[in-house]
Amino acid sequence: MGRQLSFSIFRYNPNIPGDAPRMQEYKLEEYEGMTLFVALNDIREKLDPTLMFDFVCRAAICGSCAMMINGRPGLACKTMTGTLPSRINLMPLPVFKLIGDLSVDTGTWFRNLQVRTESWIHTNKKFDPEALEVRMENKTAEAIYEPERCIECGCCVASCITANIRDDFLGATGINRVGRFLIDPRDERTDAEYFEVVGSEEGAFGCVGLMACDDNCPIELPLQQQLAFVRRKMAQAGLKLDLKGMKIS
Amino acid sequence: MELAKTLQVTLNKKANPKTDLYVDLAQSLSGVFLVGFLWMHMLFVATIIVSPELFNSLSEGLDKYYLAQVGIPATILLIICHIFLAGRRAPMRLRDMRIAWRMTKMMGHADTWIWAGQVITALLVGIFASMHLWTVLTQWPLRAATSAARVASVGPADPSWGGFTFPFMIVFYVIFLLVGEYHAGFGLYRILVKWGWFERHKMGYVLKGITVIIVALGFIALYTFTKIAGGGA
Repeated sequence: MGRQLSFSIFRYNPNIPGDAPRMQEYKLEEYEGMTLFVALNDIREKLDPTLMFDFVCRAAICGSCAMMINGRPGLACKTMTGTLPSRINLMPLPVFKLIGDLSVDTGTWFRNLQVRTESWIHTNKKFDPEALEVRMENKTAEAIYEPERCIECGCCVASCITANIRDDFLGATGINRVGRFLIDPRDERTDAEYFEVVGSEEGAFGCVGLMACDDNCPIELPLQQQLAFVRRKMAQAGLKLDLKGMKIS
Repeated sequence: MELAKTLQVTLNKKANPKTDLYVDLAQSLSGVFLVGFLWMHMLFVATIIVSPELFNSLSEGLDKYYLAQVGIPATILLIICHIFLAGRRAPMRLRDMRIAWRMTKMMGHADTWIWAGQVITALLVGIFASMHLWTVLTQWPLRAATSAARVASVGPADPSWGGFTFPFMIVFYVIFLLVGEYHAGFGLYRILVKWGWFERHKMGYVLKGITVIIVALGFIALYTFTKIAGGGA
C-alpha cells in the first residue's frame, strides 16, 4: 500500500469562454517507481480525461513535459513522486503561451529564438556531399557537445525572473545556444555579427545572475559558465569592435 | 538577416550599438568600486579597536592629503551612478514587481531570494547612507571622540516627550552595518557570478566569510566607540 498522493493542479482552458483559472485537487495512490508523468496519465485515465499536459518521450530527451513542480520547474517524466512530499502542486511553465492546464507552447518561443540567434552554421564554403567530413579536435567537439545537449524544455526560461519580466530576453537557453556556435570552428560569423545577435540587453548583458537557470536545468547544463563565457566574449568583442571584425575564439 | 525592428530599437542601435555593453560594464565596475570602498571604510573604522590614536592619525592623514576631500564627493557620485546603473535591473513597474515577487515565493530558490534581499537592502542602504553622510559631514572633522559621541548619543531626551530616551544611533548603525554588508557581499557575488571567473558556490562561501569578518569588526568597533563614550573620552 503506497502513500496517498494529493495533487493540486492548475486548471484553465483559455479556449473555453468563461473558464476561470483554478487549482483542482486529485487523489492518487502511489506505487513503486512512479514518476509524475505516470501519475498524470493515471489521473487522466482514471479521474479526469479533460486534464491537459504534454509529453512525448518519457525519457528526459524531448523536453515536452516541463512544468512547475511544487513551485520549481522540472520534467514530469524525470521526477519520481517518491522524491516529493505527498502534497504535489503542479502549475504550467510561466513565460510561454498557455495552451491549457499544464500544457504550454514552447515551440513558438524556441522558433523565435532560433531565428533571432540564427542557430545554424554560417559558412561560405560550398557543401560537397562527396567529400570527407572536415575533422575537428576532440576537445572542441566535446566543448560543443556540452551546450548542444540542451533539450529546449524551457525550465531555465521559466525560472528566470528577467525572462518572466521581459519577453525580449533570450534566456539561458538562447545564450547557451550562441555559446555553442561561438566555439564552432565551422561557423564563420564575425565578432560584429555575434555582437549584433547577443551583445545587448536582450542577450548576454541582460542576465542579472540569479542562477535559477543553473540550479533548475533538468539535464544540468553548466549554464553559469555558458552565460559568463558569452558575456566575456561579447565584452571583449565589443571593446575592440570595428565593423569588419574577426572570428573570436 | 534582420528581423523587423521598431523605430526606437533601430535608432538605439544606430546611436551606439555598444551602449548595453558599456552600461553593463559600468554597473559591474561601480559595484566593485563601492564594495572596495565599503570594505576599506570598515577596515579604517576598525582601527578604533586598536587605539583611538591610530584612528585619529588615519583620519587626520586622510584630511591632510586631501583624500577625504576628494574621496567623499567621488564616492557620493559613484553611489548616484550605481543607483541608476544597478537600479535599472530592479523591477520598477507594479507588473514586474508582482511577477518577481510571485516567482521568488513560488520557487523558493536561494539565489533568487538573495536577489530580492539585494533590492530591498539597496533601498535601505540608499536611505541610511544619506543619513550617515549628513550626520558625519556636519560634524567634520572625524575624530574618535566625535564618532564615539555620535554612536553613543541617545535621543530625544526632551521633557515634552516625557524624558523618553532611545539609543537611536547605535540601532541605526547596527542595521546599517548589516544591510550594507549584505548588499555589498551579495552584490559582489552577483557580479562575479555574471562574469564567471570562479565556481560560484565556493566563491559564495569565501564572500560570506569575508562579510562575517567585516560585520564582526563593525560590531566590535561600535562596542569600542560606546566604551570610549562611556569612559568620557
